[in-house]
Amino acid sequence: MNVIDNFIGGTFALFSDPVGILVFLGGVLGGMLFGAIPGVSMLTLAAILLPFTAHLSAEHGIMLFSVIYCTGVYGGAITAILFNIPGAPENAPTAFDGYPMTQKGQAGKAVGAAVMCSALGGTVSAIVMMVATAPIANWAISAFGPPEIFALVFFGLAVAASVGAKTFWKGWLSILAGLLIAIVGLDPVGGIARYDFGMPYLLAGIHFIPVILGFFAVAEIFVQAEKKVTGSFKAPKVGVAFPSLGELLAHKIAVVRSIIIGFFCGILPGIGATLAAFMGYNEAVRWSKKPEEFGTGKLEGVISSETANNAATGAAMIPLLALGLPGGALTAMMVGVFQMHDMEPGPLVFLTSADLVWVVFAAMFFANLSILLIGYLETRTIINLLKVPFQFLAPLILMLATIGAYAVRGLSVDVVAMFVAGVVGFFLRRSGYSLPGIVLGLILGRIGEQTFAQAMQMLHFEWTGFAGRPIALALIVAGFLTLLSSIYGAFFKKRKTSDA
Amino acid sequence: MKRLKTGHIAEFVLWVAFAALLYSFTYDFDQEIEIYKFGASSWPRVILLLVVVAATGQLLYHLARGNGEKTTFASAADDGSGRTAAEQHHDTPRWYLATFSMLLIPLAYALVPEWIAAALSMDKAGLGTIKTVVALVLLVLFAFAARGNHVGAMLTLPILFAVGLQDFGFYTLAPVFILGVMYLMGERRPGRMLIIAAATYSVLLFLFVSVLYVGLPTGNVHPFYDFGTAMVTLLQ
Amino acid sequence: MKIKNHLATAALTLTAMTLSANVAYAACATDDLPDSMDGPGGFPERALTMIVPYGPAGGSGQVAQAMAEAVTELTGVAINRDHKPGGSGSVGMTAYMAQPADGYSVLEHIDDAASAHALDSSQPNPAEDLIPLVTSQITFSQIYIRANEDRFTDWDSFVEWVKAQDGKATIANVSKEGSMERVNMKFITDATGMKIQQISFDKGSPRYGALAGGQVDALFEQPGDVRTFLDAGTFKPILTLLKEAPDVFADVPSLTDAGFDFEPLLRFRGFYVHKDAPEDRVKWLQWAFQKAYCQESYQKYNESKFMTLIESFRDTEGSRDLITSTIKLYRDVYKEMGLSAN
Repeated sequence: MNVIDNFIGGTFALFSDPVGILVFLGGVLGGMLFGAIPGVSMLTLAAILLPFTAHLSAEHGIMLFSVIYCTGVYGGAITAILFNIPGAPENAPTAFDGYPMTQKGQAGKAVGAAVMCSALGGTVSAIVMMVATAPIANWAISAFGPPEIFALVFFGLAVAASVGAKTFWKGWLSILAGLLIAIVGLDPVGGIARYDFGMPYLLAGIHFIPVILGFFAVAEIFVQAEKKVTGSFKAPKVGVAFPSLGELLAHKIAVVRSIIIGFFCGILPGIGATLAAFMGYNEAVRWSKKPEEFGTGKLEGVISSETANNAATGAAMIPLLALGLPGGALTAMMVGVFQMHDMEPGPLVFLTSADLVWVVFAAMFFANLSILLIGYLETRTIINLLKVPFQFLAPLILMLATIGAYAVRGLSVDVVAMFVAGVVGFFLRRSGYSLPGIVLGLILGRIGEQTFAQAMQMLHFEWTGFAGRPIALALIVAGFLTLLSSIYGAFFKKRKTSDA
Repeated sequence: MKRLKTGHIAEFVLWVAFAALLYSFTYDFDQEIEIYKFGASSWPRVILLLVVVAATGQLLYHLARGNGEKTTFASAADDGSGRTAAEQHHDTPRWYLATFSMLLIPLAYALVPEWIAAALSMDKAGLGTIKTVVALVLLVLFAFAARGNHVGAMLTLPILFAVGLQDFGFYTLAPVFILGVMYLMGERRPGRMLIIAAATYSVLLFLFVSVLYVGLPTGNVHPFYDFGTAMVTLLQ
Repeated sequence: MKIKNHLATAALTLTAMTLSANVAYAACATDDLPDSMDGPGGFPERALTMIVPYGPAGGSGQVAQAMAEAVTELTGVAINRDHKPGGSGSVGMTAYMAQPADGYSVLEHIDDAASAHALDSSQPNPAEDLIPLVTSQITFSQIYIRANEDRFTDWDSFVEWVKAQDGKATIANVSKEGSMERVNMKFITDATGMKIQQISFDKGSPRYGALAGGQVDALFEQPGDVRTFLDAGTFKPILTLLKEAPDVFADVPSLTDAGFDFEPLLRFRGFYVHKDAPEDRVKWLQWAFQKAYCQESYQKYNESKFMTLIESFRDTEGSRDLITSTIKLYRDVYKEMGLSAN
């Protein structure tokens, strides 16, 4: 079969080149490490490495980023579990049960489950990606124009609004708040300044990476600092007991469900792994006989979320490679790597550099497998970070976050934005609004407005034009149905006794 | 039981007022775009209208169902920060007022030096001096305000650090910031604080400046600028 | 080993000969500048910083990298590039103007700085508030269609087809009002009287994808940015926005061929230093950047980006003339377009 030949070719190309092996190993370790160090994430590592990829070949540069992507999504789980600091929004649901497990002294078990489930979800997803990307790429180039992408964004936001917040309305308000933040800066159609309040630096707009760092890393430090100041801080116990195979097998249905959810969510651009993790977790709760136990340190919560977000990694490569559409921050930086080598991600890549694509696919496959090996070793060491007194760890985390936020665009206003987001996050956590929802709105706001404008220009400002594009129409209808069912549910559905 | 609480109405009013304020700003950029008839202001306006719709929906929801049950997510995401706050009286209006006024200190730094310099029509060097003086005054003010409210100070200090970055640079401010965070978190042993701050500072600079060549802000104001660039030269 | 070396040398010589047959490599604009120059009082004692108001991946990021490397090659002075993207270059400009004017930091910028000043005179004028060290890339725009397009094949049939669509034909262009790209498009549509809907894309890759995927009918771009598509035979140019067609695009009608008589706006990228920087340091920087323009590595880079088709080099005075005339041109156009010129 063609796929297998290509995969073997890619594997051979990857491991026959010493530089390639070095880059691969560096990516695996770096992704895990940066994912695991509180305050920096794989995004920080990627932002720092981006200019240096110019010195690598295109193949190695893109391979490096895809490897970091796989292992970083897993690495973010470690900080989510140990410190309630998700390395990235896609690890947020992992913290829901992982952090309580740490507080119960079961950190090792939670991290161990994250290791195995990430490896499994990622590997399966990599296989599906290898089989499916090329056909999707060939079809997508002409089928997915701005109207379709706008419809996808709309659908993605509609789904995201329905999960993650205390109520549906709070979910929507969170997303809308994110969309509002995205408006700051030059408008994407005519380059007109909006909400800059006369401050020249605001013309650059508010970047989502500092906001993510602020909402999750900084806000968590503030919460812990408050506990520390008021004397209610409790240092977590350290436990390194791993889950047994039997414990994992007991959750096989959760694993399969999360793989399927993760993969389909991952295909949505700009949402990908984050929505995947939330949906995986959400469905786990919905299907459970004892939903009230979630949030108190249930192993299945960690499993569902971590399987789903790694399953999304392979899927997220499909819109990137097939449409040139980055699904998230890291895939957006991969676009930069492509461009630095005079290439554009998109269907043409399959025609002009099929070798490269297959090396990347092979690397992602093996990176997911290697999570299992290195993750096991790493876990034993990283957990000891918990023993560092918090008043010494906190400044380090804040410094790392500062450098991470600054490194993205070289603007100190981004550091201000991060800490302001930290304060906002600190207060919003008490309110029932969804921080990931705000982040999603912020990420998708600009691309949403831009594709909407392009769609309108292409359809000559006739709304009925959407009807002539079946894919766009289907997605918009699906989005509205999601909204309507949520609204219906919010007002009329009977309270489930188990939810109380 | 009365289902609608004052808090719900306040939340609704806040959203609507916020949306109305932002809507009024859209007239500033209500400019025509030659090739796009909706212009630059339609998208923001539609979103602002949706905000009002959603806020109204939420109000009606509370009217119909009271406080509403917590979904699993919210209870899972609630790690007790709300409880801690309530126990420590960190949710009283007085505490909020004190904290928010402290958060105005960084804002003052962002605005005041420019005003003074503009009023005295000073050049760049003069602006630098003004900034240094204002920063010192605000720092003292902050230290004074921080005495009674360590949590508020913990929220303010990072923003103060961030607004000063462009002028005074990472190299000068980072050690001060690290020590400040330790102090606010209750560490009082000077020896340990100094050693760990020095270790944190040098490890960070070595990793990011010497190894990874990340360009951290050197500052624009003398002599901080000179210190920052000297550090870069030393480390690279 | 020796034989291998000889072979390599021979191959190099052959390559050089072929190249020089195609391109006039023989003379470069700054060949008569001295090969080395001592900086005043040991300047520069440390690495220079180059502020780039765009990301590392785009045209500006790449030219900044190529120029920084060439200057380092020539002088041994390291240059740290500091990317500050956003606000169509205005954010990087603001950050640069706030830095001490000691000659240690330089700025990369493009013609957008000139048009920004033309639109809003409170923005710095790159010819007066800054000293241009060198302009190292000057290029022109073209209009592209898909190579396998069958509804039209050249400029004349394109114009005819567009007119028949009654405003429904589309062309992908950048999203900034009053930008070089949009003003040039206005010149074309005004002169031909055709109505065509421009679709705004602020990033390159989706813009090219839109043409390749059949979402739009044509594309407005500079040849260096779409060279991969031209070499791959995916796109083909149907109009060159120059009075006279360069050799490489001899088959493509120029403005004169197509019967236009407007003055096209060019894209240019160059390097600047603050006007308050010490005079002797500026002299050294001018020498370094102008001389580096003729380093082989830089020339190779320019060639790969189609930047040698028209003369790309301007020294300080030449750059000032270019910028000043560009600002004047934009001012006139903006007045006519009713864009607020204050």
